[in-house]
Amino acid sequence: MSIEAINEQLLRAIGVGVALVDLETLSLNFSNDTFNEWFGDNTLSAKLNDLFPDLAIDDLIAEMDKGGRLTTETSFKLRRRTMTVAMEFNRAANTKQNISVLVCQNITRIKELESMIDSYSMMVERNTHEIKREKEQVEKLLLNMMPRAAYDEYKTFGVVSPRLFDPVSVLALDFVGFDSLLSEHDPGVIVSELNDIYSAFDRIGAQFNCQRIRTNGDSYVAVSGVPDLNEDHAMAIANSAVRFLRYLERRNVTHPIQWVARIGLATGSVIGSVVGSQNYIYDVFGPTVSGATTHRTKANPMSIASDAQFGALVGDSFQISPAADGGDYILIDDFDDAGSQG
Amino acid sequence: MEKSLFDKYGGFSTISKIVLTFYDRMIEDDDVGPFFDDIDLSKLIDHQTKFISSLMGGPATFSDDHIERAHRSMTIENFHFDRLKEIVTETLADFDVAPDDIDVILAGFEDRRVLLVEKPNVN
Repeated sequence: MSIEAINEQLLRAIGVGVALVDLETLSLNFSNDTFNEWFGDNTLSAKLNDLFPDLAIDDLIAEMDKGGRLTTETSFKLRRRTMTVAMEFNRAANTKQNISVLVCQNITRIKELESMIDSYSMMVERNTHEIKREKEQVEKLLLNMMPRAAYDEYKTFGVVSPRLFDPVSVLALDFVGFDSLLSEHDPGVIVSELNDIYSAFDRIGAQFNCQRIRTNGDSYVAVSGVPDLNEDHAMAIANSAVRFLRYLERRNVTHPIQWVARIGLATGSVIGSVVGSQNYIYDVFGPTVSGATTHRTKANPMSIASDAQFGALVGDSFQISPAADGGDYILIDDFDDAGSQG
Repeated sequence: MEKSLFDKYGGFSTISKIVLTFYDRMIEDDDVGPFFDDIDLSKLIDHQTKFISSLMGGPATFSDDHIERAHRSMTIENFHFDRLKEIVTETLADFDVAPDDIDVILAGFEDRRVLLVEKPNVN
């Protein structure tokens, strides 16, 4: 067998489609077995634009005239499989004939892999997005349960160490006749109203840099000076307290259920920490907290009670009255409403 | 948390090979292949990637509703479904998925036979 015959046999057998294109007649004068398998056995009698209807013939001729090269792709069905073939036309050198060599590589697998990676990437992106959204929801929930500084500490170290905050002011509020309200109304209605009221308290408190620490039934405890130091802690908590009462007064005018609150205020130091290993709750402890709850018990309905130590911090801005029963507490009101309390 | 089969068998690196083998066998098969005659390549690959991934507990959401809609226009008989299960079994076995795990995957698959063969939502 001659070298030419061996070369031709090799050319016919390789897995790459090869054809010679006569650029004068735009037809093929050679095609190997792989090429015929892809594009049919009658390729030699077919015109180039019949074989490849999407091929830009003018661009091909222009490139070949310059002695350049043209690359493109074509897709077709082979049995059920969508085949994609990369085509490269090269002007044949060292020949007097106007011929181009067409080499076709099967890139079907690459296309299939690209499709699969696209599909997988979309799945992963969607999952990542969902995980991010869930993480944000968890973070939002945890930030409802503890201050950001405590949350950051918890995220970094897995624990929150107890910390002394000094000075701070504490507000303790409850509702007069809460048990009667519960027995007289549907529990769902009471919870919905409490949610409404506590949300309003939270908004008011936030305006004065006060943070709600906990609610327990009708008990609402907020603090100023935790976790960030606030020099005006007493003013902040007193301002919140009078606005809580104003809010309730306005609300009671338009709502059938009357919410009557008592508020106790105190100033001093507290310990802040997360407690519980399964159910994390950020809480504050200390005599200042119990002081506020004790003052609350002395407060008349819709009034604010505290002690002389707290009164000294806010005396310039609020109306301070001694206890009507001669007890060791004071009543706090804003000047606008002075005299309305008994 | 228990490792999913997706992670157990090497994640996307292995799944991609399983998907391509499954794809080859499905379109070449004389019984089930004709269902894919007129389906766009990227759509088919997308479908099969999600299908195999979700069967193996990967990051795919492939609801029953989606499966039902994707096969609504096809007349699928029980023997097509059986053949499909055979191809799934052969493919997974070729990638050394343990017989017990194949059974788990096939059970998830069998649960959806009704969606493809009986088409409860088509009048």
